[in-house]
Amino acid sequence: MKTIIEPFRIKSVEPIRMTTRDERIQCLKAAHYNLFAIPSQDVMIDLLTDSGTGAMSSEQWAGIMRGDESYAGAPSWFRFRDVIEEITGLSNILPTHQGRASERLLVEVMIGHGDAGKGKIVPNNAHFDTTRANIEHSGCQTIDLLTQSGQNPAQDAPFKGNMDLEALDQLLASRGDDVPFVMITITCNSIGGQPVSLENLRAVRALCDQYNKPFILDACRFAENAWFIKQREAGQADRSVESIVRDMFDFCDGATISAKKDGLVNIGGVLLFRDRQLFEAASNLLILTEGFMTYGGLAGRDLEAMAVGFQEVLEEDYLRYRIRSTQYLGEKLLEAGISIVRPAGGHAIYIDAAEFCPHIPKAHFPGQALAVGLYEAGGIRSCEIGSVMMGEHAHMELVRLAIPRRTYTQSHIDYVIEIIIELKSNASALPGYQITEEPAALRHFTAKFAPIS
Amino acid sequence: MRVRSWAEPYKIKMVEHLRMTTPEERADAIRDAGHNTFLLKSEDVYIDLLTDSGTTAMSDHQWAAMMLGDEAYAGSKNYYRLEEAVQNHYGYKHLIPTHQGRGAENLLSQIAIKKGDFVPGNMYFTTTRLHQELCGGTFVDVICDQAHDPTSDYPFKGNVDLDKMQALIDKVGADRIPYLSLETNVNMAGGQPCSMANIQAVSKLCHANDIPVFLDATRAVENAYFIKTKEAGYADKTIAEILLDICSHTDGCTMSAKKDSLVNIGGFLALNDDALAEKARNLVVVYEGLHTYGGMAGRDMEALAVGIGESVQYDHIRARIGQVEYLGEQLIDAGIPIIRPIGGHGIFIDAARFLPHIPRDQFPAQALAAALYVDSGVRSMERGAVSAGRDPETGENRYPNLELVRLTIPRRVYTQAHMDVTAESVVHLFKHPERVQGLKITYEPEYLRFFQCRFEPIADDSILASE
Repeated sequence: MKTIIEPFRIKSVEPIRMTTRDERIQCLKAAHYNLFAIPSQDVMIDLLTDSGTGAMSSEQWAGIMRGDESYAGAPSWFRFRDVIEEITGLSNILPTHQGRASERLLVEVMIGHGDAGKGKIVPNNAHFDTTRANIEHSGCQTIDLLTQSGQNPAQDAPFKGNMDLEALDQLLASRGDDVPFVMITITCNSIGGQPVSLENLRAVRALCDQYNKPFILDACRFAENAWFIKQREAGQADRSVESIVRDMFDFCDGATISAKKDGLVNIGGVLLFRDRQLFEAASNLLILTEGFMTYGGLAGRDLEAMAVGFQEVLEEDYLRYRIRSTQYLGEKLLEAGISIVRPAGGHAIYIDAAEFCPHIPKAHFPGQALAVGLYEAGGIRSCEIGSVMMGEHAHMELVRLAIPRRTYTQSHIDYVIEIIIELKSNASALPGYQITEEPAALRHFTAKFAPIS
Repeated sequence: MRVRSWAEPYKIKMVEHLRMTTPEERADAIRDAGHNTFLLKSEDVYIDLLTDSGTTAMSDHQWAAMMLGDEAYAGSKNYYRLEEAVQNHYGYKHLIPTHQGRGAENLLSQIAIKKGDFVPGNMYFTTTRLHQELCGGTFVDVICDQAHDPTSDYPFKGNVDLDKMQALIDKVGADRIPYLSLETNVNMAGGQPCSMANIQAVSKLCHANDIPVFLDATRAVENAYFIKTKEAGYADKTIAEILLDICSHTDGCTMSAKKDSLVNIGGFLALNDDALAEKARNLVVVYEGLHTYGGMAGRDMEALAVGIGESVQYDHIRARIGQVEYLGEQLIDAGIPIIRPIGGHGIFIDAARFLPHIPRDQFPAQALAAALYVDSGVRSMERGAVSAGRDPETGENRYPNLELVRLTIPRRVYTQAHMDVTAESVVHLFKHPERVQGLKITYEPEYLRFFQCRFEPIADDSILASE
């Protein structure tokens, strides 16, 4: 494939501060080897997350200037609402300050308050960290029902995010009364940004109909998922991204969206319902913790930026560039013999840390070891997605290199590739880690670590 | 020394167009909105005095700060700048940013309140009390009696009544009081300040009983201005000094930065206790976002850091409150019953006296707010029985002493001419108050009903009879 150039040029830049290895060693010590605790100005290439870290377009910045900050009924709200309704076909729309607020409201209205979730269980292809935390906070269990290929990082398959339909059928047959809803994450973040096919979504819908269960999408990366469907699913190549997206949402009864991903914004979220009553229940709770239902805890300008961003993300030139540039990083690492989750996902490359650091046992967190090593060697901040983040739910020991949207250039990515290849040649020198302090939930954000000498 | 008028210490850099509407259009719009001003489209509003929360015009420096947003998920440099601004001006050790004030209230309630606790406060605020109740706490009003009397012109109607506080301690025991919630420039009392002497005395009483004091610092800067201008011994202190002094008597604060701090979005919890801060940091990530952004974009943290610095400038706060007083004095001169003395962020009309022919169960304040909109396109907010909601035990309507319509003035947004139009409309309605009729509820949500409640007029189709 020929080089894919960015379908944009740069309008505003943000300087990167260069650091030395010695400075970075000091930073790591001060941060107790938790990359979440490192000040961003000590990071050269920040691949911690693709969430909220993208560059907005000039059209979005114009929206920022246009924002109406009225507390109730602002035109910015109506513009945002109309765009979301047109894209998803769902008309019961709530803005939230970000995705986890949408998840929390979903749990409150569909499972209940306090420990109402006791004895219940929510299946997903694979829950992401905040989703799992929000559901488990209600006392409810979570279960991942990934298709077989999704559990094997080395296997190349087009739709590794698909749900295991047989397992879902079994769960609904044996414990149907305990399942408040069925959820699918598109694309599936915790196993490598892998897509879910329309066929699989259709089949899950059919099972939900059979057992009379609501079907909820975690649709943070809905546009990337639609692009993969267009590229990989039989009969979809000639369809527009918009119509594929619409098909995806047509299967669901509701959706949570963190707009900080495919909304192309720095802050914002959405909660959608087909059912009016659930929407009204969620509206009441939204007001309590987020804000009035026409702003949901966002500035009016952020609603404008979302309205523009959700449209820009559906442009084919953008999606081609986005997915292709992620694949570029993946291909170069594979060429260098580095094991990554295959095929390359939409928003990130996931390095198999267990294979990168075979000398470090799972109990000593090989993912953490690799992430710390990358920072020390090149000032690159990545994210462990393994036993630190997922605890006993970890399927694999991965390090995620998440690519912020429209932010870094090919030369930044080439630098990242060089650092990883250098580190690989000296991987046996990387130490394992132990946790010295951790909170009760979501420990990866604030836990402290020490190297094991 | 000659006292000069309060002319704004700024000029206009960017404008936002307003749409003019006819009385007929407005009559239709308020009917469509269920006679609830919250449900009006802002496009149909001429002068929007619904709230001073998040409706501010930012300065050129703040807009410049918006371009300095560092949107890194962890350790954004904007966070450190905000932390420094909060430490410098509020003086607390730990900062936990939240997307807005209610996020901070939620965190404080969850980390501090146990089921069966009693939470004293100087008058309730809607969201604050609900967070306390959802955590199993019971709100206890310990504000001084003058606060409930709209005609009293006591200068510090926000003060805590020390006897009421002592009586609560004697009755339930200090160990069932997780903290005192101390609000500066008490909103529901009409933007009324606390005196420094009272803040000192109540903190001393609480601390003697090992009860922490948490400030609702949302309008603490406006409170500091009243201390400077009304309380003996503070005339020569700067606003910044007085603000730090207020905070120094307390253990932490919740903050909706959308008021004093001159931003459109943002808030924080700030506190001194290391262990409690750790608990809050572990919880903020569940509800808001990682503790170095708390659900705010980096650019919004930067704009907030700049806004805090601007908020304590004397020229700013003097013009701010000067504008509120300008509107209030026009209404007083026309004999309109408003809460006295004039508060910091708005004018509170005593709707029960304005519309004596409408009984309390027909919501005179709600009716007045709807009628004012139809008359002139001015959007105000009910702060009376609808806002007070129902008693969670009995399910009955709560009827607070104050049945008010709030004309809240956004910061740096409207001009003197806008204030004149507002005053003219209120005065015009007051000439024939019987044109306004009462309302009955047609839809009522479970929580915070004032936001989404719908009403219809008792008798006629029109809230405001034609002249």
